[in-house]
Amino acid sequence: MVNTNRRVMIQRTAATVGALSVAPQLLAQSAPVRLGYSMSRTGPWTGGAQTSQEPNYLLWAEQQNAAGGLDVKGVRRRIELISSDDRSDVETVVRTYQKLMGSDKVDLVLPPWGSNANFATAPLANRFGYPFLAPTALSRRLIEMKLPYFFSLLQQPKPMCDAVVDMLKANGVKTVACIYVDDLFGLENYAALKVALQGTGIQLVEDKSYPGGVKDLSPTLRSIKDKNPDAFVGFTYPPDTILASRQAKEIGFNPKFFYASVGTAFPLYKNVITAAGAEGVLGMGSWNSKTSAGAKAYFDAHVASQKKEPDRWASGACWAGLEILTSAVKAQGLDRKAIRDYVAGTTHKTILGDIRFEGSENVGTPGSVGQWQNGEFEVVWPAKIATARLNPNKPAWK
Amino acid sequence: MSFSSWIELIASGLITGGIYALVALGLNLQYGLMRILNIAHGEFLMVGAFITWMVQTSFGLSPLWMIPVSFALLMAIGVAVHWLCFRRLTATSPNLDVFEARGLMVAFGLMFLVQNAISWIWGGDLRGYDFLTQPVAIPLPGGQAQFAVNKLLVFALALLFAGGLIALLRMTLLGKGVRALMQSPVGAQLVGIDTRRLHPLMFGIGLGLSGVAGCLLSMAYTISPSMGEPYTVTALIVITLGGFGSMGGALAGGLLLGVIEALGMHFTNPSLKALLSYVVFIGVLLLRPEGLFARKTRKA
Repeated sequence: MVNTNRRVMIQRTAATVGALSVAPQLLAQSAPVRLGYSMSRTGPWTGGAQTSQEPNYLLWAEQQNAAGGLDVKGVRRRIELISSDDRSDVETVVRTYQKLMGSDKVDLVLPPWGSNANFATAPLANRFGYPFLAPTALSRRLIEMKLPYFFSLLQQPKPMCDAVVDMLKANGVKTVACIYVDDLFGLENYAALKVALQGTGIQLVEDKSYPGGVKDLSPTLRSIKDKNPDAFVGFTYPPDTILASRQAKEIGFNPKFFYASVGTAFPLYKNVITAAGAEGVLGMGSWNSKTSAGAKAYFDAHVASQKKEPDRWASGACWAGLEILTSAVKAQGLDRKAIRDYVAGTTHKTILGDIRFEGSENVGTPGSVGQWQNGEFEVVWPAKIATARLNPNKPAWK
Repeated sequence: MSFSSWIELIASGLITGGIYALVALGLNLQYGLMRILNIAHGEFLMVGAFITWMVQTSFGLSPLWMIPVSFALLMAIGVAVHWLCFRRLTATSPNLDVFEARGLMVAFGLMFLVQNAISWIWGGDLRGYDFLTQPVAIPLPGGQAQFAVNKLLVFALALLFAGGLIALLRMTLLGKGVRALMQSPVGAQLVGIDTRRLHPLMFGIGLGLSGVAGCLLSMAYTISPSMGEPYTVTALIVITLGGFGSMGGALAGGLLLGVIEALGMHFTNPSLKALLSYVVFIGVLLLRPEGLFARKTRKA
């Protein structure tokens, strides 16, 4: 009897010790993966952030959780998104990420919206050792900072402007006029355009900067119209993209090539300018649902889940970044250094095609140009990723 | 530059200035009459713009129908806001300076409240719709000027509302009471003008005008919950130019600012627009602080 009791007691003690040693790992495995980010839900960045970025984060978490959770080295763990509104304020963005990485110690972070916010937070993420796959950072200076944990998915000013100038040159353009918003995005793109134009024989007949939030561009557009350029290039943000288009229509300025930047690829552009009015307008765009089967599946899932279409530029880059992060976590778990090395050293299969990084820059996706044709924003340049042929004569505004 | 180009440039400045004037009129009414520096004025303008957008895109109703609706709705909100906030402040503030400072704080609170309420209801996305954007050509000696129909409409309606308000203040007994209140609040009360009714009514009309401005702006520009603040700043510049409490001055100040900006942007750079506006603003404050168009003896 005594022997039996002692045996049972030893067995139970062994079982308890065994359970205690394994339990924390089991608990950790079933705990959610905590991903933190700040996002513009109020303030001037909201339009871009709520079109190109946050809907994709939400869709991704929804899809992963529906599949049982994020695959962390073979173990499915639910995603818990920890997010807050940054009020389109850089200081709030920085403080939020400091808290997420410094005191909350979330498992991973997702980047904020826009070049300015990424410029402020990427060095911070690098210091804390958090991989930062930024879908909406367009800045050469950020790339030149050589931050090992920072990866920019969007094509940078040089390849984007090279693509525009290649297209203009191939279509016999002799003169171009340019307006640009006077911030990091506009200044860097304008500088890249000037470099790209060198030696092409295309003359820059007018170049003017404007402040963000401008309410009237017609005086500038009228002076550009007087110079009758073959092409107009605007490095603009969504409200200014629409303002420039509306006012170009208003004053009858209709060059053969009308190119605007952020917002041209937004569904909003078509809704506000109308499909007929948008016909032939060029802009920054790199994909649509015809780009790949994955892109079609993503497009349909976005519409079903978020009740709105994704834009045809940065949304694709954002989704591609989430695809890369999913693969990295599947292969490396939540070891952030290992994730960083995986992202840096792998050619990734995404909805945009193959993506690989040289330093922080995505060199897999070429610079591209999109164009509104029959209610769809088609990729028209370069030919190897085009979804439709370029219309080299923009029809009159309708 | 040809004669027609000059006319076109000045006319485009006048159109923008007409919008500035309309935005400034409501704020001027509130500040000139009651010393309520309603920093949330642009936010109420944004409410008018969002309601118009919602009705236009949901029901396909012409935004023109929304002009009286926006006015009435925002006027009702204005009367309610006055009753809830500023009536109490009037009763508890020991003097006008304290009332002005407290009113400014309340207006700041309203600004955040309204902006976040709209973000919560409709989200922060940019919105817009297409309404009368086709251009119309106006023949001129030596060429022609071309403007979008919606801009001309907005300009005409802005002038109509500004003229209507000036006529109301100059030609009616109500207007006489309001002008008396602007000149001397104590004197007006002594001769029997009921400030308890007149104040909420005028605050409501001020907000109603901001609703109309929002409705008109939504026809020509994209809208977002953060659109209001720059208009408040512009309105402050305009009423400083025109003279606090002077409706004619606000109209003239708005038009002048629009033309100065258009000419400045054409001959220099759009990035210098803010600089131009503030140079004019500071210049007026230094050289003629009562405003360019205000007469010291008689206003409105």
